[in-house]
Amino acid sequence: MTALAPTATLARRRFQLTARTPRELFVPLLTPIMFALVIAPALKAALHTDAAYESFVAIGTVGLLIPLNTMFAGLGAIVDRESGAQRELLAAPVPRALIVLGNLTVAVAVTALQLTTLIAVARLRGIHFHASTTGVLWFVGTALLFTIGMYGAAETLASRVPRQEEYIARVPAIAILPWFLAGALFPITALTSGLTWIAKFLPLTHGLALLRYGLNGDATGLHSIWKLSDPTAMAGLSLAVVAVFAALLTAVSIRAFARSALR
Amino acid sequence: MLAIEVSKLRKVYAGGIEAVKGIDFEVAPGEVFGLLGPNGAGKSTTIGMLTTTVAPTSGTARLAGFDVGKEPLRARSVSSVVFQDPVVDRALTGRRHLELHARLWRAGAGAIGGLVEALGLAELIDRPVGSYSGGERRRLEIARALVSQPRVLFLDEPTVGLDPRIRHELLDVIAGLRARSETTLLLTTHYLDEAEQLCDRIAIMHAGRIVALDTPGALLAGLGRELLELRVPGDVSAAALALRTRGIAGDDAFAVGSTLTVPLHDRAGAEAIAAVGDLGLAAMSIGTREPTLDDVYLRLTGGRLAEAA
Repeated sequence: MTALAPTATLARRRFQLTARTPRELFVPLLTPIMFALVIAPALKAALHTDAAYESFVAIGTVGLLIPLNTMFAGLGAIVDRESGAQRELLAAPVPRALIVLGNLTVAVAVTALQLTTLIAVARLRGIHFHASTTGVLWFVGTALLFTIGMYGAAETLASRVPRQEEYIARVPAIAILPWFLAGALFPITALTSGLTWIAKFLPLTHGLALLRYGLNGDATGLHSIWKLSDPTAMAGLSLAVVAVFAALLTAVSIRAFARSALR
Repeated sequence: MLAIEVSKLRKVYAGGIEAVKGIDFEVAPGEVFGLLGPNGAGKSTTIGMLTTTVAPTSGTARLAGFDVGKEPLRARSVSSVVFQDPVVDRALTGRRHLELHARLWRAGAGAIGGLVEALGLAELIDRPVGSYSGGERRRLEIARALVSQPRVLFLDEPTVGLDPRIRHELLDVIAGLRARSETTLLLTTHYLDEAEQLCDRIAIMHAGRIVALDTPGALLAGLGRELLELRVPGDVSAAALALRTRGIAGDDAFAVGSTLTVPLHDRAGAEAIAAVGDLGLAAMSIGTREPTLDDVYLRLTGGRLAEAA
């Protein structure tokens, strides 16, 4: 039997639990929507910037939505362990990596739903994007890989901390701090040179630059990182960075889960 | 083929704590086997190794011939576990739990209807498990474990924390499992009456070792038909020595606190009481009674099981 059937079974279980926990669906949306609909227009007015800035920030909030959502999803893994049916799953005749992959599947699906909501709400608010078909593919691919990587971080943390309180205490450092450095609200070139250099190593910086390249055709962020003239080449390099991030964190999360499951 | 084979199984946790010290036992198909002992005896670690959630330090264990270390998926495919603590998704219905188990064990859902009826879950099965009482939830967990028709079913302290009425109902359910299937049961408990009522054979664990393994009857027979029990003021050891010197007590007499218990074997109780009187031993109370598994445990470990648990 392939791994597909048990993964689908595990994902279905996780989805049913998530659907019964509205906070997992809606709470992560609140802050990004607030940024996209309230703070970005307010900043535009206060700083006398143009409409493109609203679009810039709206895409920047994706860089907040994905980490927040995946970290909330990781919380579900701790609930599973503390008061859910995780031990029943560990006793099942399926590879334990599939438990992580089942959770990941749902985290990706919920993130997709939330991203769609965020973009739709931004459009309704009058924020414009200029995406080609290819651009949408860049956007979707980047969002998918970054979500996978961030869920890996969340699952790894969930496997390593014993309690929800400790997990929640670490969320700001993982989900929010990089967002301030990664060019979400302003280009990374506006940072001091030292911080700009640090920002170039953050997967989120590459992700946001790619998301803007995909949804707005704006390669400025990519150029700030790579200093090359070919946008496609820069996008390819940044996508590779995000892909390596996703693969690495997924592998680490599976290993951390397996180790925490086996005493 | 044996249902469970355990050979020289040992577990040393980080920090050097040796929880299981090289145990051996075998369980035949269809047998109900009890692991008896207080908390810290090594029962849960043993179950953990057999269900592949604890990595053995050394030794081997096989379920239906499958090595739990080398073929964990196959070993898990022939077994199910009912855990000591609730292991359920409170938001999901009972039926969803059974279906999930059926899918993960690739068992098909055919057995679900019969199990729901047999375990008295028909009225509850479509309610979220969070609304179940402790006894209802435990019955659901037993039903879930049976959906895959396991060749080996582990019941880890299945009645802990339940009120007496529910506990007895559940014991009836577990006893009923013997009649309706060929499933081998491995039951851990620190309730002696449970072990005596349910198990074909019992292994008594103490400090990571199996200190006795036999049928309940054979374990009891080792103490004879009758025990002399007396409470003495002062030095119990001196009283025991005096009884031994007079040939009333043998090497298997044991003391807990001020109570001295003497297996009488072939000696009559009245005769033993008279002999104690002849000795002039001051006793606060004296009497005879039939031995229990509690006495077996006391003799083997020097501690009262119910207190240690």
